Amino acid sequence: MEHGSLTDSTSSTFSIMDEDHTLANSARFVLNQDPRVAFCGYTIPHPSEKKVNIRLQTTGDAAKDVLKDALQNLMIMCQHVRGTMDTAVVNHRAKNAAEEMDVDQN
Amino acid sequence: MPKKGTKSKKEKVDDVPNEQENKLPDYLELQRTRVVCNADAPIHTQGFQYSGAFAAMGIDNSVSVDKFCKNFKIEINRLTEDYMEFDMIGIDASIANAFRRILISEVPTMAIEKVFMADNNSVIADEVLSHRLGLIPLDADPRLFEYISENDVPNERNTIVYKLHVSCPKNSQRITVKSSELEWLPEGSQLSMSAPAQSGDKQKTFTSFSQSQKEILEKPLGVKYKDITIARLGPGQAIELEAHAVKGTGNVHAKWSPVATAWYRMLPEVVILKEVEGPQAEELVNKCRVNVFDIEDLANGGKRAVVARPRACTLCRECVMGPNEKQVELRRVRDHFIFTIESTGSMPPEVLFTEAVKILEEKCARVISELS
Amino acid sequence: MDPQQPEPVSYLCGDCGAENTLKPGDVIQCRECGYRILYKKRTRRIVQYEAR
Repeated sequence: MEHGSLTDSTSSTFSIMDEDHTLANSARFVLNQDPRVAFCGYTIPHPSEKKVNIRLQTTGDAAKDVLKDALQNLMIMCQHVRGTMDTAVVNHRAKNAAEEMDVDQN
Repeated sequence: MPKKGTKSKKEKVDDVPNEQENKLPDYLELQRTRVVCNADAPIHTQGFQYSGAFAAMGIDNSVSVDKFCKNFKIEINRLTEDYMEFDMIGIDASIANAFRRILISEVPTMAIEKVFMADNNSVIADEVLSHRLGLIPLDADPRLFEYISENDVPNERNTIVYKLHVSCPKNSQRITVKSSELEWLPEGSQLSMSAPAQSGDKQKTFTSFSQSQKEILEKPLGVKYKDITIARLGPGQAIELEAHAVKGTGNVHAKWSPVATAWYRMLPEVVILKEVEGPQAEELVNKCRVNVFDIEDLANGGKRAVVARPRACTLCRECVMGPNEKQVELRRVRDHFIFTIESTGSMPPEVLFTEAVKILEEKCARVISELS
Repeated sequence: MDPQQPEPVSYLCGDCGAENTLKPGDVIQCRECGYRILYKKRTRRIVQYEAR
């Protein structure tokens, strides 16, 4: 849910239901890294309610697009993390298997 | 904010990486990449996340996804069936914390939810016994099962049925009921819901399994740890119950959390600011409880303290307290996390981490689709 | 289902633990040891609990 002004699409507050610090802090971090962002922050209006408000002010692009790009960047980062982890596990197992074989030969 | 790129000059040799015209002064670089842990409190805990933080100096602080992908590294230190310790380098605390939060509360698991008590004359009350059963870790992969909601009929896709039927014979010693006594029923519930109205085979049980779970699953389901004490029975006492396990997440009840726990800490960095020699060096080495420092013998017979194992530092701050405060500085590297995951057994820890990352991706996708 | 009286219910003696079936109107006393405190048995119905 986007609460913004009709004339100014560069600043708006996005109210997301069923989310908490897990997604909001990560999104805020990725948004801050984007050079198009002038201001970004998030707040949880009340801890009993699972709602998060993300405030975004950009330097000229529409806030919705910048948020979408940031979330897509976060998805790309996650996929990269997953790939790196899989390779690391395979390498670790191969290395340990090789070491075990060396020990056996000794 | 235009990016300050480097102008490619043809006379520059490509071996040397092109440096930016401006670089951050050392004290700012320290503030940007390290958390300094002073004796009283840590400083510089926030870090500069804003892309235009150094705009006045002409330095670009933005990080693109490509730069992240290039600098991100994972190094695994220990990997066993239920314990994993690895280093994540080049990631920010907010995302590392997101993974930790998801691992604890949003990765689904199977755990016993409904207990149908047919008989219990032990000293353990019904509800206490049910609570204990709920906390037993089950050896079932939750990815093979679906969630069940209030109105759904329990079937072989969303429920696992266990039976516990033990009794202690009279004139014998007390027996201990261990979790190994929980028997998996692949055909579904065996308890009948009400007295059979018509004679014959048709009896309504608590679940409606259309096929045996043995055909769907490759290996038999059971409990992960067979030596968990469920109850103790005296002579003449018996327990007869049926337990149904369903899929759930840790944020509803802790029994559905797939990790014993998952945590991370930032890589410690210990720096000796002023040379520590002689008896003071000995004192410093003895102060540290985890042997971070070591003695190095100098050529002229003197001794000097050096940092040998900074990774073991637990931040007890013994070395920075007292009169020798300014000798040592304790720091944490802001983007290097030592992550530890202890799995309770439903899935191996590397699979748990991958699932947690997938869940974060799904959250992003959900918000993106809401926005469109 | 017995239309006249409910089925005879069995109770456990507090002392010796022997089963005694009693009908309404019987003297409340154990048949074997004479103890006058009898406990009702646990229900045969299946009780459902949430493992929380």
